[in-house]
Amino acid sequence: MDAKNKLLNKIRQYYFSLVDANLYLDSHPTCKEGLAYFKKYKDLYEEAKEEYEKKYAPLDFLSGIKDDKWAWASEPWPWEGSEN
Amino acid sequence: MWEYKKRLEYPVKIKNPNPALAKVIISQLGGPDGELGASMRYLNQRYVAPCNQVKAILSDIGTEELAHMEIVSAILYQLTKGLSIKEIKESGFDTYFVDHTTGIYPQAASGTPFSALTFQSTGDPIADLTEDLAAEQKARLTYDNILRLADDPDVRDPIKFLRAREIVHFQRFGEGLRMVQDQLDAKNFYAFNPSFDL
Repeated sequence: MDAKNKLLNKIRQYYFSLVDANLYLDSHPTCKEGLAYFKKYKDLYEEAKEEYEKKYAPLDFLSGIKDDKWAWASEPWPWEGSEN
Repeated sequence: MWEYKKRLEYPVKIKNPNPALAKVIISQLGGPDGELGASMRYLNQRYVAPCNQVKAILSDIGTEELAHMEIVSAILYQLTKGLSIKEIKESGFDTYFVDHTTGIYPQAASGTPFSALTFQSTGDPIADLTEDLAAEQKARLTYDNILRLADDPDVRDPIKFLRAREIVHFQRFGEGLRMVQDQLDAKNFYAFNPSFDL
């Protein structure tokens, strides 16, 4: 796996941790351990996402501008099998 | 993948419930030209779109339609809040109420439940994008009909926003169709499927 896909996989793992923690916190909103877990992965996710978008391509439309160009519509799409 | 944003794309604040009006506006949730069908149409069509820009247009408009479903649902929720049984009976809302109480269920104004038969995903971008252009027009005229039936400015305001978006989407789909056609042999615009035969 190349560096780009390695970083994307990390983002996927961090984000999944957040998605799962979100569900848990919806029904356990005062769990200290859960809140700390969420904070930890939110920081890791944001840092990795920023690095990926700076190096490679936007992951959402809000980050669509890259090198003064609209990169959102011109990159490969995730269902094409080559990853993003 | 998707992420939910906890805000409406356009605000909905309706002071006076009106179940009779909810009964017609529900068509833009689950009717033949409603927002659920619009979203499913574009989000299913996008996979075989022949170029990145058309993939983007279908993904982004399909996503915005999900937000429009939420606006229509918010209108329906507020129009049917705090009703008495008398109001439910007199407004004709009783035929919906008996199955769904005041829950939000995607159906046409006629009572027909939402059906995927209201849209296509043909695997042919010329056919799909031509359908998409018609779909935006049909949704626009449905909003026009709703505006003919609705007097309440609290309802008309978000409906006018949704109507305006149909016009913008029509424009974007027109550009998408042009992009696909520009990649074709001018003599064979409509003679083959660019996502399968090329």
